[in-house]
Amino acid sequence: MITALIYLQYHSFRNRLVSRFKRLKQPKYLIGAVVGGLYIYFYFFRYLFRGFGGRPGMNLLISSEHLQLFELGGALILFVIVLLAWIIPHERAALTFTEAEVAFLFPAPVTRRTLIQFKLLRSQLRIFFSVLLLTFFSRRFGGNAWIHALGWWLMLSTLNLHFIGSSFARTLLLDRGVSNWLRRLLVSGLVVALAGAVWMWARQTVPVPGPADTANPGAILDYAQRVLTTGPALYLLFPFRLMLRPFLAPDAPAFFNALAPALLLFLLHYLWVIYSDVAFEEASVDASQKLAARVAAVRAGNWRGVKKNQKARRPWFKLTATGPAATALFWKNLIGVGQVFSVRLGITIVVILVIFGFAFADKVHSQGISIVVALFVAIALVYSLLLGPQVLRLDFRNDLPLADILKTFPMRGWQIALGEILAPVAVLAVFQWLLLLVGAGLLFYLPVKQEALFLAIAFGAAFLLPVLDLLLLLIPNAAVLLFPSWIQTGRDSPRGIETTGQRLIFALGQMLVLLLVLLPAAAAFTGVFFLLNFTLGPAVAVPVAALAATIVLAAEAGFGVMLLGKLFERFDVTEEQTS
Amino acid sequence: MVQVDGLTKLYGEFVAVYELSFAVQPGEVMGLVGPNGAGKTTTLRCLSGIIPPTRGTVRVGGHDIVRDAIAAKQQLAFFTDEPRLFDYLTVWQHLNFVARIYQVPDYERTGRELLEELEIANKRDALPGELSRGMKQKLAIACGLLHSPKVIYFDEPLTGLDPLGIRRMKDSILKRARDGAAIIISSHLLHLVQEICSRLLILKNGRKIIDGTLEEVTRKFSEQPGDASLEEIFFRATGESGPGAPAAPPLLPH
Repeated sequence: MITALIYLQYHSFRNRLVSRFKRLKQPKYLIGAVVGGLYIYFYFFRYLFRGFGGRPGMNLLISSEHLQLFELGGALILFVIVLLAWIIPHERAALTFTEAEVAFLFPAPVTRRTLIQFKLLRSQLRIFFSVLLLTFFSRRFGGNAWIHALGWWLMLSTLNLHFIGSSFARTLLLDRGVSNWLRRLLVSGLVVALAGAVWMWARQTVPVPGPADTANPGAILDYAQRVLTTGPALYLLFPFRLMLRPFLAPDAPAFFNALAPALLLFLLHYLWVIYSDVAFEEASVDASQKLAARVAAVRAGNWRGVKKNQKARRPWFKLTATGPAATALFWKNLIGVGQVFSVRLGITIVVILVIFGFAFADKVHSQGISIVVALFVAIALVYSLLLGPQVLRLDFRNDLPLADILKTFPMRGWQIALGEILAPVAVLAVFQWLLLLVGAGLLFYLPVKQEALFLAIAFGAAFLLPVLDLLLLLIPNAAVLLFPSWIQTGRDSPRGIETTGQRLIFALGQMLVLLLVLLPAAAAFTGVFFLLNFTLGPAVAVPVAALAATIVLAAEAGFGVMLLGKLFERFDVTEEQTS
Repeated sequence: MVQVDGLTKLYGEFVAVYELSFAVQPGEVMGLVGPNGAGKTTTLRCLSGIIPPTRGTVRVGGHDIVRDAIAAKQQLAFFTDEPRLFDYLTVWQHLNFVARIYQVPDYERTGRELLEELEIANKRDALPGELSRGMKQKLAIACGLLHSPKVIYFDEPLTGLDPLGIRRMKDSILKRARDGAAIIISSHLLHLVQEICSRLLILKNGRKIIDGTLEEVTRKFSEQPGDASLEEIFFRATGESGPGAPAAPPLLPH
């Protein structure tokens, strides 16, 4: 029976490859594949695999003592990962199959064990790509690529087996009346007991660093190393260290020495999973349906569809039944913004930006929270311009799968275009204005001499930014209407190297268009600035020049919206579907 | 109310619809039938202004769907086979949204009545993801009927409905026709067409095979020997194998 499943896996993979090769007959995919292939080769693979010779890496350059530290640190991380797999999950065991696999395999005379083997076989493909990526990153620190790749494979495969095995064990416990909370309590209790044992052992046998050593990282590391390599911790971390050793091996002989115990661990996990007799089918059907819905949502460019529990959001303002129809689209997309930007996400972004701010502040050796916040404001402004239009996709990029519905609306193309694009512009503009306000407020606390000039810059930026956002959003929206199959929005959007290449080409194209669009505005700014700077000074020249540039950009944006509307009117839904 | 003249839609060299002409008057329900790939959905999309025709004209309520698109679209509603809704708008927000698009001042009263009529009033604050397939379809219908369209197109209107939903949908279509709407229904369900349509248009390979009232079409085919049910008419007109033709292999083996 397993041969039939291998047949399925092999031919699915082969047919997918063949269809991708056939697709290369179309120039858009061929060009994308060439550019994507070159990018991946030069960026990823050029220096990756060079036989067992490789350049000496960290494993050879660092002492065996430090290598042990890496091993211990890695083992601790693996220990935490495994521990979390026993504490956090609450679902019953569910092996995720595709809906087609569920439909064909579950009613078929296929044993549970065969299904598990099939699932394990299929997970190898995912692990293979993860190994490639991880090897690329870990190889940057040196070492042999093949050793890294095989080490990563062993680690990920064993972890994968452990996750499946632990999910089976959780289900067995649930079937025997051990609730999730009781299990969590028992596992946490065990961890506390083990940590207590390690602590007791360390207290009695390993001398604690003295007060003089607390500032010495070497002494603390030495203490940690001695605690973790003796007594209970030695046994506790031993399996995890075995898992790590092939990866950390400095050369081929060391790798083969470390391989046998790691393989034994892998084999034991495999036997554990294969001989577990747990009913996973019902939960798997549910999981497969959810997976299918999420995949469909992602392919449709609808990342909100990925969210498990969408909640109804209140509109940001009351929409009356009469007035400009474009406002309805703006109103609708603003509600969508509420789905994307939860309070939690907002807090996460702020935390990340603050961390970035601190990192930069450290680099310029400055002190004081004001400078950190100022840096945060500056970075956030730049990022909002660069990434904002890419992240906020509540426009044509999100609604293109519903283009046929939009086309039935009694609205002109430009009205639909304007309504579609306004929500991300408004969100970005409000965010940027807030940042400018914070920045302006900081002037009172910073040792700045030319406050008036800085205020003038902030004032000018307040004009410029929303129009700039609009232009930056027009470009990808126009691109999606001009080349919908190149931009990933459709329900069956392509993936692969060719898509990477297409994205690169588009990123380049967008930059060129942006440069062209900015040139007249830059010329207007420069002209007005030099005209006024000599007579009225920079504090007046900057905002007036910014206003002039804004007018030029606004004219361009107005033209862009009209053009986008025309593009939408000419957009043929069926042609795109049939191509 | 709907006047189509020489409608042609080409995709490169592929002819999706060719030189199609017909008219649907107020109160008429026209069935648009044909085998798979006949061009039914393409025709409906051209009629509703979703895709531009390559040649020919479509007039809705006297307005050209290409040149005077706003006025034409203001009068029509198009119900696709799969309900197409916005993931993040609730049932009531959908109605609010559509009311602004079509400028319906008294939408709150009409909307409430429609939700009551379609029995989804209790789902007012639910998102589409929380609705069953049938409920989603009801919501799409409520949105489409909110502005009291004079021309209504249905693409496979009974897909996914339960028996009671099917009965209600048929009644609703007939009620709109009695109120003076011109209705076009694209469907493979010939019994539905026979039951509620007053006109019939059969397409094959994008070309018109038959167009006329049900009586005219039946009379035309009754002159030939054999049963002249709509199913038989369909098979004869399209040249597909039917009950009168040599037996085709069964779909499911014994």
